[in-house]
Order: sequence, then structure tokens, then C-alpha cells
Amino acid sequence: MLSRSAERIYWLARYLERTENTARLVSIYMNFLMDMPRDVQMGWVTLVHIIGGRDAFNKLYKSDTERNVCLFLLTDLNNSASLLSSLSFARENIRTSRELLPDEAWELVNEMYLFAKSGQDNILNRRERYLFLQHIIQQCQRFTGLLSGAMCKDNPYGFIRLGRSLERADMTTRILDIGTLLLAEDRSNQIRQYESIIWMNILKSVSALLMYRQQVRSRIKGHDVLTYLLKDTSLPRSVGCCIKEMVTCINELPNHNNLPEYLQVLEQYLNQIKINESSQLQIHEILDVIQKHLGEINNQICQHWFLVNGQPLASSAQQENS
Amino acid sequence: MTSIWNNYQVENSCDELMLSANQPHMASYGLCQYLDVLDKESIKARKTAAEHAILEMGISFTVYSDEGNIDRAWPFDIIPRIIEQQEWQGIEAGLKQRLKALNCFISDVYAEQTFIKEGFIPSDIINTSKNFRKQCVGMRPRHDVWANICGTDLVRDKNGLMYVLEDNLRVPSGVSYMLENRVITKRVFPELLQNIDVLPIDDYPVQLHEMLSSIAPEGVKQPQIVVLTPGIYNSAYFEHAYLAQQMGARLVEGGDLVVQKDNCLYMRTVQGLEKVDVVYRRIDDDFLDPEVFRTDSCLGVPGLMRAWLAGNVALANAPGAGVADDKVVYAYVPEMIRYYLNEEPILPNVETYLCSDPEQLEYVLAHLPELVVKPANESGGYGMIVGPHATAKEIADFRKVIIANPRNYIGQPTLAISTSPTLCKDNLEPRHVDLRPFILQGENIFVTAGGLTRVALRKGSLVVNSSQGGGSKDTWIINMGGK
Repeated sequence: MLSRSAERIYWLARYLERTENTARLVSIYMNFLMDMPRDVQMGWVTLVHIIGGRDAFNKLYKSDTERNVCLFLLTDLNNSASLLSSLSFARENIRTSRELLPDEAWELVNEMYLFAKSGQDNILNRRERYLFLQHIIQQCQRFTGLLSGAMCKDNPYGFIRLGRSLERADMTTRILDIGTLLLAEDRSNQIRQYESIIWMNILKSVSALLMYRQQVRSRIKGHDVLTYLLKDTSLPRSVGCCIKEMVTCINELPNHNNLPEYLQVLEQYLNQIKINESSQLQIHEILDVIQKHLGEINNQICQHWFLVNGQPLASSAQQENS
Repeated sequence: MTSIWNNYQVENSCDELMLSANQPHMASYGLCQYLDVLDKESIKARKTAAEHAILEMGISFTVYSDEGNIDRAWPFDIIPRIIEQQEWQGIEAGLKQRLKALNCFISDVYAEQTFIKEGFIPSDIINTSKNFRKQCVGMRPRHDVWANICGTDLVRDKNGLMYVLEDNLRVPSGVSYMLENRVITKRVFPELLQNIDVLPIDDYPVQLHEMLSSIAPEGVKQPQIVVLTPGIYNSAYFEHAYLAQQMGARLVEGGDLVVQKDNCLYMRTVQGLEKVDVVYRRIDDDFLDPEVFRTDSCLGVPGLMRAWLAGNVALANAPGAGVADDKVVYAYVPEMIRYYLNEEPILPNVETYLCSDPEQLEYVLAHLPELVVKPANESGGYGMIVGPHATAKEIADFRKVIIANPRNYIGQPTLAISTSPTLCKDNLEPRHVDLRPFILQGENIFVTAGGLTRVALRKGSLVVNSSQGGGSKDTWIINMGGK
């Protein structure tokens, strides 16, 4: 497999996973706000913090309104982390990797991109926005299913799984951050009454509510949810499970050299975390550390397998947009 | 109910579907009858369906413009163009004959040059050809075939005969659109294709793969084949990706390839370097190898020519094959057919005046308002003039251009090229069409069943290039035998 193709397909998977998770994030936050009493002051701008986009947001928008946050997160091409940006990078990457994927994969992503592009006006209205997000999530799931039913379990699929798992782990830590941020803020005494609703929504956003009930079998409490979504190794969207998947992929890929060691370090870090003994602030820091580890692993993957001298497509596309 | 055929007129040229305003050709009878009973709403629905399919399938081409490159949806007309199989068999034989002779000629140019020595073509024409590559002299590609993939442009004149307009031997494009057009037609008119015997075309990628395998260096059992593209900003990128995917070959850019000290070509993979045996290159000679051709090229691969000349890798088309893709050389193809094959040409050339010849130049300059004048080495419909459609000033300006460089220009009479019914708003109207079949030659020779029909969508226009407002149609070769 060409290094260039490996790079494109890895980023394709990352961008599509990011697309899906951004849709999940906005969708769940909207859902959650509807459960909150009106006098609880909840800002949409929390979502901007979670994706680490405060500076970019301030450059583009004057006020923290629902409208602005939704535009910023979903359809603003000036925000390289928006859903539409991710989708257009994904499309660009798949357009240049068509020879590795089944026909329908390109058509599916292209169709989704056209849909998202034409949906720009709809997302301002909550009902339409809900349908928009649902459609995107469903199409992303279709894509995942399509590949798993059509691709050989060899290198190209390995890079897809690798990219997807890394992005997924990262997004799960960001979604968990919603909980810690909301509960850590000063006004949180009032919000704290709604704690279980917050955590239930978080479980839903990573499709884990049913599994949590079956496996944890306790009332929905922050510490239990955090532990489950960080450390469990069988739930597909838990950080522990994503790392396990990455280890498998990396070991199956050629010339992986010392890469597995980087993952071992992260695994050990994850194992020693004691959520019950940590304050909200400490948990926020833990999530930060995990994200940094994932960033380092990404760098190692790039240096290992991709063209270092050639201009990687993903980053050049990003530069053009920012 | 008014038919979409209302007011259809067969004007001063042949029509591909109609004998006269109300009388279809035998082969197009089924289609015309079917369209006759469709009302405007249903035809509109088909058109919309086709447009959706094009968007969703992501069939696009890139247009170079001042505002940067734009990816445009492929303009497609849903009404197919039809050719009866018996006529087609003659054309097919003519195309094979022509490509064989052209390949004999290229081999000769880079070896003995008997055709030149015996005075059939002035040596000047070859020596001054931009596409003659002295680096290729003495090389012998497998099967002595230099132009493995050829796209020949055909037009039908008023007298009903098909003429060869040009031979594209460098990096002809369009075949993916031919294939996708059929996919769309199958979606839009499934009931029609069930009832009419249209020859299938979708074996092209298989044929291409077989041809490329057949030219691999001797002794290579399962050759590693790659498609070399200049990258996503090339107007035909869609096609490069499409063909690679359909053949199961790797799509590579120059940066993915490297020639090592052993004069072999390798690609950079996640496993390390992997040997490449056959390159279907979609990059012009000029950019192929900065060691030999343009030194500023970053699209190609340094050392690629070394690897090719050493016989360690096959290139299709071979470097230097473009020497026969020159509109001046074109004028000599009928003579080549007689010389190398000892046969009479099956497909006629369009009468051609060479501006390099003083007498013919004089004729061209005196008849500019009636002629089409084209540069010898351009493609895509750039830099040409259509006399009857040009203003006096344009003609005067072009005259200067010709006089400045007569070797680079040829003149041809403006043909009344045929029309084919095309959906314009709600009605069918005649629009001019050409036809580009694709011919493959390696160990064997193969011609697509039909080809890409290009249509000038603007009323009266004769220019069919997609970069100049042209569109395309599905092309049906119809077998009347079984019905």
C-alpha cells in the first residue's frame, strides 16, 4: 500500500469519525438543554470550549448565541473543525483514494457532503437541525457498515480502523468534558440537581446507555460513567476499547517497530487513573493528558508510515481553509 | 399531448437518429417511438434523475479559469446517439487499421526511417515536430507498439461518411465518461435497454488491464500496474482515479515513485519500496522525467526514462509516441496505411492544407473565412479558429499568427458535421456531435463498442470540447440482427 494512500485513508477515517461525533455532540447538547429548566443559565458556548475552538470562534463571531455556535460547529468552512469542513476534507481524501475503496463509499460520502452543504440554512431551526444531525449520523454509520462488509482485513482497512479509533477516543474524552465542565462551574449547585440527566445524555451520545445499564447496573452517577467510558475495554466508544483496537491495528500493520510502546504508556496511564479519588478539576486535567497522548501517537503514526517530505493532503487542505 | 419531437428539423447536415424531420433511421426507430409517447413531465423527470445521478456519483471534470480551478458536474444529454452495428463494424476495422499503421510509422521514425528516406514525408516535418523525442531513437517497446491507447475523433459529414478528424496518441481522455454515461442511461431508461440490443461497453477496464499486462517487461508474471496522475488539480483527475479503481491498479503521483541505482522503478509503500512493472502514465512527455525532459517538472519521476530505456518498466503510451499525434503528420496517415500495411484506408481523412507548404499556405490564407485552422500540437479545442463563425478582426489577427509560424498550422474545410437530437429545455433540437472511440493495442488490438459522443450544447456551435461548453451522450451500437 502506498504511503500516500495510507495517509489519505487514515485521515479519511479520522475526518468521518469527527463528522459523526460533532453531530452527536451538538445533537446531545440540544437534547440536554431541552431537559433543563429555563432559569438554569446554560450557554451553547460550552460546546466551543469542548472542541478547543474558543479563539477561532471569537475571531469569527461577536456573540455566544445558539445561532452562532451552531453555525461555527456545523457549517462554517472558516472553522476547520466544523462538521462541514471535516466532511469536505473527508470527501477530498476519498476522492483521491477511490482505487482502494468500494464504489459506494465515494458515492456515500459525496452524497453526504452535498446534503450537508445544502442544509446550511436548515440548521438554524432546532427541529430541522435535529433531522439534519440524525441524517449525518446515520450516513456515517452506513459508511462504517459498508466498509466492514466490503473490505478485506488488510492494510487499507487497518489504517481506517486506526484513524477511526484514535479520533473516537479523542472525541469521547471531549464529550466527557461536557460533564466535568458543566459541573465544575460556579453556578453548578443548581445544575448538580440534574447531574444524572447530564450523564445519561452523555451515555446516549456515545450509544452506551443500554450497555451501561446492562454492565454497570448502578444508578447513573458521574464517577461510574467516567470510569466506564474511560476504562472499559469492550464498549466500542470507550477510550480503553479504542486504545485496545489501536494496539491490534498497529501490531497487524507492517514495520510498526516501537510504536506499540507509545500505546503501552497510554494504557498504563489509563489503568492508574482513580476517578473516585479525583476532583472535577483533576478529571478535566486527566482528560487533557489523554488528549495529549493521543496527539503524540498521531505524530508517531505519521512519521512512521506517511510521506514526511511530501505535502500531506490533509494538512494542506486545512491550511487553505484557515 | 404535444410530443417533444415537435418542430424537430433536420437541417443542412446529416442527423444521427433521423432521416428527415419525421422519419427515424431503422436503428433508432425503437428509441424514437419510445420518446414519442413520453410526455414533457416524464422526460423532465428523467433528466432530473440523470442530473442527480451525476452529482451523487461525483462525475466531474475540472475547468481551469481565472478564479481558480472549479470542479464542474459533467454535462450530459440523456438522449443517446445511435449507430447501426453493420456500419460500426466497418468503422471498427478502419480504426484498427489506422492505429496499426500509426504504430508502424512511430517504430520506423525511431529506427530506420524508411518512410522518410523513401520520400513519403519531408524529414523536416519530423525534425521540427515538438513531439519527436531524440532520446527514444533505437528503443523497441514490446510488440513494437508505441501508442497503446488511442482516442480517435470521428465526424460525419453531409454526405453521410465518417471522417477521421484527429488521432490522439498522447494521453487521450474521456473513456471514463463513456463508461459512466452508460451507467446513468441504465438508471434513467432501464426499460429501453431491456428491449433494444445495445452492445455492452463495460469490459473496457478489463481490456485495458489485459493490454497493460501484455506490455510488461518479459518474464514478469503478475505485473504491478500503476496509473500515474499529475494530481487532483488535473482536469482529468476523475478519470485517472476511476480507471485505477476499475482496474484494481494503484493510482500514484510522481512523489510516490523512485528510480533506484538498478534502473528499476519502485513505489513508496508502508512496507517499503515495491517494484513497478507497468505505468499507465497520464502525464505529458515534457513532464515525465526531469532528468531528460523539462527539468522544472515536479510531476514526473527522475530517472524514469533510464528505467524505460533499460527495459525494466513499460510506459503506456511510450514516450515519443506523440510524434504521430501532430496535425501535420495526420495528413500523411492514408499514405502510411498503404505503405506499411499495403491496404487502402477504410476511413478517410478530412482534406488538409499544410501551412508549411507555401502553395497550400497561400490557399489557406485566401480562404480563411471558409476554413477551420488548427495548431498542429494543441488539444482541447484551444488556439483554433472556425472561419465561418469568426469575425473579420479575429480572422485578420489569426492570419498574423499563422504567418508567424506556418509549420504549426493546418487548414481544413469546415465540415457540416452531423447533428443528433438533444434535449434543450422541453424540446428536442439538433446539436452537432462527434465521436471518440478508444482503441487499445498491445499484444492484441481492441476497439470500444462505440465511444464517447461529444455534443456542442450551444445552438449552431461546432466545438464539442468539454472545456468549451460541450457535453456528452451515451452512444449505442445497435444490433438489428436478432429483432
